[in-house]
Amino acid sequence: MDKQKPEYLRPALIAGAIAGVLSGLPFVSAGNCLCCLWIVGGAALAVNLLAKNTGGVLTSGDGAIVGALTGIVAAVVDALMSIPLRPFNMELARRVMGKVSEFGYDMPSNLDGFLDGGSGILSPGWFLLGLFLSAAVFTVVGVLGGVIGVSLFAKKKPQAAPPSAPQGSGDAA
Amino acid sequence: MSRSGISRTILVLYLLTAAGTAIWLSAIFLAPALAGRGSAGAARLIYAAFSPVCHQVPGRCFTFHGQPLAVCGRCLGIYMGFAAGLVLYPFVRGFSKLELPSARVFLLLTLPMAVDGAAGILGIWASPIRVRFVTGVVWGTVLPFFFLTGLADLLLARRRKVARTLEKIRVNNVE
Repeated sequence: MDKQKPEYLRPALIAGAIAGVLSGLPFVSAGNCLCCLWIVGGAALAVNLLAKNTGGVLTSGDGAIVGALTGIVAAVVDALMSIPLRPFNMELARRVMGKVSEFGYDMPSNLDGFLDGGSGILSPGWFLLGLFLSAAVFTVVGVLGGVIGVSLFAKKKPQAAPPSAPQGSGDAA
Repeated sequence: MSRSGISRTILVLYLLTAAGTAIWLSAIFLAPALAGRGSAGAARLIYAAFSPVCHQVPGRCFTFHGQPLAVCGRCLGIYMGFAAGLVLYPFVRGFSKLELPSARVFLLLTLPMAVDGAAGILGIWASPIRVRFVTGVVWGTVLPFFFLTGLADLLLARRRKVARTLEKIRVNNVE
């Protein structure tokens, strides 16, 4: 049987763009603080879109690929959005930390310096380092979200099986 | 692919994931340790690495050497739970088969954290760090079963594809 190869890129671009925008927007980005909600959710959305294109039959490997791609796209979109929003985000972080300290929580002694240092223009080196770190983390989280998405949305294909237990798919070469 | 080949692939991925998890958890504790010893630059880099995945609000983090950990209590719980799930993995699944946990199990284990998180956001209650940590552990425990299954399935599918291509080339050469 000649299986149709799933088209991973389109769902990953759509879902990754949505997840990246949500991860980059002030306030809304706080969703990522709840176990990377936007990235996991974005990867699961990509699997949902992919499942619609493939009749719902997907393996966990398909979920891992589309989830990883979604994570990378989300990291790039998030990084691009952070450039114009950086001064606003720093001001927001300063206000939040101020509010938190009002409740009597101890703040790290060098926090002000950290926030002040970050309020300027972002250097290309720091931007690329941040992008690399985000992409690495979002890719791993995206893999997780994609596989969870398969569990939630897809009809499962038979998993890899040893030759002694053929599944009748004609997959064993 | 033979059963031993599948087992070896899953085992290698398992060991790599375990090593990655150990490094990740170590980094969470390394950041405050460095900050406490005055290595602000290195500590800042590690804190920055974790910033995309956690709010890092000091009041919601456990402390180490008098400094907040690189992630909040709930995130630490998720990663600790992931590590616990990795320890359980060989006993629950073994290395010879690939099977995703059911969606029902996933949703059930997500429920405590979702309820606690939603209630916190809605201002119904503010749970202490320990509760956040425990709900994170419960959720994190199921995650390696998804992660390893997905990666192993992906790798095995690639290997089967390569094997088929090589077989076609071999057959063509014989003909």
